[in-house]
Amino acid sequence: MITIRGLTYTYPEGNYPVLKDIDLDVEQGEFVLLVGATGSGKSTFLYCLNGLIPNVLSGDLVGYIKVNGLSPQESSVAEMSRIVGTVFQNPESQIFMLKVEDDVAFGCENLLMPREESIRRRDIALKDMGLMDARYADTQNLSGGMKQRLAIGSIYAMGPKVFLFDEPTTDLDSKGRGEFLSIVKKLKGEGNTILLAEHQYEDFLSIAERIIVFENGKISNGSFDLKKMLLYKEKISYRKHQCKIDTQTAVPVQRIFFREGSEPYKYLQVQETEHPPANAPIIDIKELTFSYTNKKPVLEDINLEINKGELIAVCGDNGSGKSTLLKIMAGILRPDKGKISFFGCVNPAIEELIGKVGFLFQNPDEQLFANSVEEEIIFGPLQLKKNVDKEQYLKFADFDSLKNRHPQTLSRGQRQLLAILSVLAIEPSILILDEPTTGLDYDNLCILFRIISMLTDEEKTIIFSTHNMNVKRLADRVILLKNNRIASDEIYK
Amino acid sequence: MKYISKATFFHRLDPRTKILMSLICACLVVILDTPLSLFSLSIVLFAVFLSIKPPLSYIRIIIYLMGTTMIAAVISQGFFYYFEPRTPIFTVVPSNTRFFGNLTGGIYFYKEGVIYGAIQSMRIFSATLLSMVIVVSTYPSDLILGLKKLGIPEKLGFIITVSIRFLPTLGEEAKRILIAQKLRGLRLKGICGALNGFRFLLQPLIIDSLRKAKRIALAAEVRGFTGKRVEIRSLRFLWADRVVLFIAFLTMLFVIRKMFCP
Repeated sequence: MITIRGLTYTYPEGNYPVLKDIDLDVEQGEFVLLVGATGSGKSTFLYCLNGLIPNVLSGDLVGYIKVNGLSPQESSVAEMSRIVGTVFQNPESQIFMLKVEDDVAFGCENLLMPREESIRRRDIALKDMGLMDARYADTQNLSGGMKQRLAIGSIYAMGPKVFLFDEPTTDLDSKGRGEFLSIVKKLKGEGNTILLAEHQYEDFLSIAERIIVFENGKISNGSFDLKKMLLYKEKISYRKHQCKIDTQTAVPVQRIFFREGSEPYKYLQVQETEHPPANAPIIDIKELTFSYTNKKPVLEDINLEINKGELIAVCGDNGSGKSTLLKIMAGILRPDKGKISFFGCVNPAIEELIGKVGFLFQNPDEQLFANSVEEEIIFGPLQLKKNVDKEQYLKFADFDSLKNRHPQTLSRGQRQLLAILSVLAIEPSILILDEPTTGLDYDNLCILFRIISMLTDEEKTIIFSTHNMNVKRLADRVILLKNNRIASDEIYK
Repeated sequence: MKYISKATFFHRLDPRTKILMSLICACLVVILDTPLSLFSLSIVLFAVFLSIKPPLSYIRIIIYLMGTTMIAAVISQGFFYYFEPRTPIFTVVPSNTRFFGNLTGGIYFYKEGVIYGAIQSMRIFSATLLSMVIVVSTYPSDLILGLKKLGIPEKLGFIITVSIRFLPTLGEEAKRILIAQKLRGLRLKGICGALNGFRFLLQPLIIDSLRKAKRIALAAEVRGFTGKRVEIRSLRFLWADRVVLFIAFLTMLFVIRKMFCP
């Protein structure tokens, strides 16, 4: 189905090739998992198959590529899209139409299919992707998981034989991820060829036939074998942290991510001996209810006491109210009913909490204002007239050499870390992080853990939301939200 | 203000009819120049607006808007009407008053100004009502399809659709950026604060939008978008459409005849 020989590609602004001399054959119906650190060339490789390279993204492309007889070098992206369907990471930017059924038909309409054929394919896709009930819904109001399903559905309707997925589950919660997995299984069952690039690939190990590891633009190729898989994982993720692998203890798939001896694992160990919380709660929430506009409450009857020095994970599916709870805890939103006291002050306005509470939004790009990394870190302290040891913060994330760079020219992971550091620099007593691990690869995750571990040593209160199970285990208290209420509140000591 | 799905006569009309009808009404708004005729047009359009069963909040907005525009226009034009002839209704400062009278030449409230203000405010009112009727009663995709059938290019139609789809998220984003600034200690109060906030708002907003635009463009490419499409959505031009357009044309002809061929 796919034949590649000697593929080498350099981006127009790049000095060295992102992909180097890649040879690969993929049979029809194969499920191939592409893994590797950020910047290793996974996405670029997929762009070479769907024709975005060289048709839209120019650069220097050398080598022989054939996908079901078509060459991306000779065909347009639209021609390639009849055979190759691509689903990207962010479902939000893949939906164009306002109604679900219109969006499913969007691709068919672009391929100039006769009207009846488009309708037929649209209806099949709606049915097969489980979107029938939502066909008249506004695309804006869908959950993240539904949006990704819609993105796949509209590609599916175009009838490609090869599906390319570029980190499709990064923005999904556990429920959305489960839904995605069942759809991918279905696509595979229908005999489609699938290439899937992903950081958190544990879910796909059970159905992948082959794993290709990208490292510095080269691939190491092999048939699927869990033992080998662990070795590959070792190679890509743990290369900076020399640690032994014990395949015996590492076999359960869930444990692949943080194996014994790995740096995050050490932090997990640290968490077991915890600091005793101080007496008076730093945040005290009583019978809190909150709703956006006058609709159904997003949070109902919330009672919580948060003590100084606690490290709390707030978990729950998308729409369970995690982000809303965090925003209330930061004073960004005010409760409809009930009360929330910070340091004994009841329902304060956001202005009263400036400098005391630090908040990190999900998208780091909305929080970087300055013209250099260094300026970004001192931005908050400068406004609040606080002294800051900027060198210390630069060191946290090894930003010494990057301090004069413009924040927006850093990689996604680095931008995320910089946003966290710039919030930290105002030295808040409470640090609230909304999904801080999204988009971080292993190395940056380790840096984040290092920072969090240091903060807990300083008795800072940290509250973060996550849907990553491994990250959840870092906390010493886990609050689970379900159906807009607190379903469980467990303290791990 | 956005589309609300209801089963009314105007909801069922072809978007092309509504677009053409609004063009005719727009001409009428400009051509008509007596308080009575514009008042009649406003009443008709208000009745049309009520017939699409808008929520009470929309009606409140339109009445509030109309009230404030009317009062502001009548008062300001009453005082500052400049054309001759003009008849003072009452005098605020006579021209022979010391200092103020000499300085201003007297401050009067003119009858013609009141009429002119009323005419202008009814024009604004009619135009607002017209656009609200279309926005509230037409599904955006249908409206864009209507525009395309009337000749706007496919790519422009796509740009409008994507803008409608992504504009709300842009507003949300700006809000989050402002809160992030606030929490990092940036003072946003007063003119200096607002300017400061704006300065630090634009950069992340533009860069993030550019990133998003690139993602959207790539996603549109892999879905085969080239600017040529065969759409499933179709429009039906029914008898009701013909009747509505016929009445609109007739009204326009009547008005033109009345105004220009005495």
